[in-house]
Amino acid sequence: MNTVEETLEIEVPVRTAYNQWTQFKSFPRFMSTVKSVEHLRPTLTRWVVGRGPVRREFTAEIVEQQPDSRVVWQSLGRRSCHRGEVTFRPTAPDRTAVTVRIEVERRAVSDFVMGVSGFTRRVIRSELARFKEFIEGLGEEGGAWRGTICNGHVQPVEPQPPRSRVPRWPVG
Amino acid sequence: MKKPPSEEPEERLTVTPPKKWAAGVPAVTHALEYSLEETSLPRAGAALLTMNQVDGIDCPGCAWADPSPGHRHRNEYCENGAKHITDEATSRRITADFFRRHPVSELGRRSDLWLNKQGRLTEPMVKRPHSDHYEPISWHDALELLSGELRSLDSPDEAVFYTSGRVSNEAAFLLQLFARAFGTNNLPDCSNMCHESSGFALHETLGTGKGTVSLEDIHHADLIFLVGQNPGSNHPRQLSALEQAKLNGARIIAVNPLPEAGLLRFRNPQNVRGVVGNGVAIADRFLQIRIGGDLALFQGLNRLLLEAEDARPGTVLDHDFIRSGTSGFEAFSQHARTIAWEDILSATGLSRNEIEAVGDEVLRSRRIIVCWAMGVTQQKHAVPTVREIVNFLLLRGNIGRAGAGACPVRGHSNVQGDRTMGIWERMPDSFLDALQREFGFEPPRAHGLDSVSSIRAMLEGRIKVFLGVAGNFVRAAPDSAVTEEAMRQCRLTAHVSTKLNRSHTVCGRTALILPTLGRTEVDIQCGGQQFVTVENSMSEVHTSRGRLKPASKLLLSEVAILCRLARRTLDGKTDIPWERFEADYGTIRERISHVVPGLHDFSRRVARPGGIRLPNPVNEGVFATSVGKALFTRNAWEMPHAPEGHLLLQTLRSHDQWNTVPYTDDDRYRGIRGSRRVVLVDPTDLVELGLAEGQHVDLVSVWDDDAERRAEDFEVVPYPTARGCAAAYYPETNVLVPLDSVADISNQPTSKGIVVRLEPNGTGPDPTMSNSGR
Repeated sequence: MNTVEETLEIEVPVRTAYNQWTQFKSFPRFMSTVKSVEHLRPTLTRWVVGRGPVRREFTAEIVEQQPDSRVVWQSLGRRSCHRGEVTFRPTAPDRTAVTVRIEVERRAVSDFVMGVSGFTRRVIRSELARFKEFIEGLGEEGGAWRGTICNGHVQPVEPQPPRSRVPRWPVG
Repeated sequence: MKKPPSEEPEERLTVTPPKKWAAGVPAVTHALEYSLEETSLPRAGAALLTMNQVDGIDCPGCAWADPSPGHRHRNEYCENGAKHITDEATSRRITADFFRRHPVSELGRRSDLWLNKQGRLTEPMVKRPHSDHYEPISWHDALELLSGELRSLDSPDEAVFYTSGRVSNEAAFLLQLFARAFGTNNLPDCSNMCHESSGFALHETLGTGKGTVSLEDIHHADLIFLVGQNPGSNHPRQLSALEQAKLNGARIIAVNPLPEAGLLRFRNPQNVRGVVGNGVAIADRFLQIRIGGDLALFQGLNRLLLEAEDARPGTVLDHDFIRSGTSGFEAFSQHARTIAWEDILSATGLSRNEIEAVGDEVLRSRRIIVCWAMGVTQQKHAVPTVREIVNFLLLRGNIGRAGAGACPVRGHSNVQGDRTMGIWERMPDSFLDALQREFGFEPPRAHGLDSVSSIRAMLEGRIKVFLGVAGNFVRAAPDSAVTEEAMRQCRLTAHVSTKLNRSHTVCGRTALILPTLGRTEVDIQCGGQQFVTVENSMSEVHTSRGRLKPASKLLLSEVAILCRLARRTLDGKTDIPWERFEADYGTIRERISHVVPGLHDFSRRVARPGGIRLPNPVNEGVFATSVGKALFTRNAWEMPHAPEGHLLLQTLRSHDQWNTVPYTDDDRYRGIRGSRRVVLVDPTDLVELGLAEGQHVDLVSVWDDDAERRAEDFEVVPYPTARGCAAAYYPETNVLVPLDSVADISNQPTSKGIVVRLEPNGTGPDPTMSNSGR
């Protein structure tokens, strides 16, 4: 397992940094290697990443999510096999240390994004810098998901979140 | 295109060994062969190449989900879907002359296959009282006749409105709206006969009536159970998803009385591996379970999990999830430990080693999905079985997590959507309140009739008018002789249909055939070209746009027929804008968005590629059960018992069949050709019963009303089914399923586990047939 960890301090409150990070679908707006994200449901995401003409698609489960604290994900399937964690630590009322830690399985060494730890480190560093530039520039988040995920299970903040308001009667 | 048959095909039965794999190149050739028998190459091509594409025709066959836009094949359909769509797109036509030549009494003696082969219905027809012929009738007169009968009823509850799963969301919404504005909740549907048991069990335990998984979950599961289902013939596109899962490392356990080809191996005709290679093995383990043993199997697995937790505390069960998300664990676990192994082994017909090996697989797997179909839901204890499956999933937190969950596999393209639209005889007050707010009338609150209750009410003369929108109620329903007698009691039966079937020949004193556009056909109304929407098994609501020229200029769409009927029948009693609905289906969707939760901004969102994914509350962490948590349940069962000299029968489809419609008399994967009147029995059972291969027998079912239910003249075929069990095709054997034999709680007819005896009917084994192909 290759592990890469990068930390960057961002000049926004921890809530702002965390909330923006929960908006995965917005990542292509400021990250150069993320081409598209589908947030299928709170715990399931589909990512297209790449550089230049090369594209790689993978599905990731959000395994843990604690508001203003951390997000842990695990890729699913045999390709692009990795596990990631981003943590948010307030260093001052309006400053947040964001740490991204990614563990890549060695057999995925050929994966062009994640495969070589040096390359992975550079990508993470530059993407974190883009996140910093983006959220500091805007000053406030564009959205938020404040639920909690424990071991892959959602624990909603309200008893009837909007997405649960669907037909529930028996279907034969 | 071949001409329709004038006489019944006369073929001799030939039997070859069952196939060990499904699909491959033969699937392509059979699909093309059938398509070109039905219609021209350009028409077949136009249908097939747009099938299941974004902006194309949704396959009217099964309800398996489509891959995401951008991930679909150019040929995104299966052999059975191709047959189904070209069966509708056929170039054969039924005209008034056909009905002049064929009296109703003669049509009533024809086979389902022959009736279907005659082609598309092209103009409204009526059979008057005392007449033995259908004759043409104008749309005006037909709808006046039907609305007149409805208006003349003493009570709206003297009518029933049946829906088949082909009906679009828009037509389904209008049908329930019309029925309720008319004053009744009598809305039986085909769901009553397929997954009603799943709906009841899931609703009670998880607070949702629908499956919890998507295709992404299937692709990324570690372990998938296929229980009581035959994907190779009934949901072939599921095999592509299972192939993907296998390539991602999943293990699959098939649980079924018959070793179906599609459970064993899949040669995907869309890739090189499937065309020139051996394809992909589907089931890593095959559990040949006795009919009705599924509940005992899952209780055995649950007991193993509890005992493994006892041995290694904190390592087996998902305690955090059980504590925070569920209720009833203690009572469940106490009960589960009391189930005796000897009962489990006797009910399942499996060895303890087999079950323990599966238990080990479960312990190695983080993400588990259980898929099931009619093999589970059509048992007497189907609801407890699905509940026990939920127990199994809850124990290790396999609900509401990626790559895990419950997957009832639905067999008809919009059966789930029709329920979402309110086709149910006992809709909750929240839905009825929304209808009242939106349309300004007071919907009836008393529960209506489901399919079984409707038949009983017809028999007792309490139902005068039957309207069926799509489907073939007479052949889908159980206890055929009783159902037919019930239909004949009606004053008027009317069917909105694309093709001829037995429900047109077994009819009320007056009968109407209201021919309609198929889903393949262009639907142009005063507001321009329309599309409809459907919902698949994985809660994705998307569009279906017809592409073919309609079979006749005189066809009305289902929406148009319902709007015109409602306008006449309700006669200004409500201010529902039926004319606007008919002209522009977008106006229906707008009203749906006000009534059905989760479908806000329906028209705009559904028009996006891929449509709308309706979230499942379970995956949002919400369990809308009576206690706000997922429920563990204690489930008791009674082992289906066949006395000496008897077998447990399951009815099933052949490969060349879709629901009640056989396309040929062949069943390629099971090695059966030329006849559908066969009964498949384990060779050892045959010896014990003193029967021989090729012998002709009557199937006689045993039920506590002592009425004789007999399916005559079936040929015995030795087949590797589970011991003590037999299988035969429906609808031919529906006659054996007593109307009162229903699943506990769900009232779903029990087409699995019927106690039968095989009575030799005097015709000895045919020596020229036996072993000929083996």
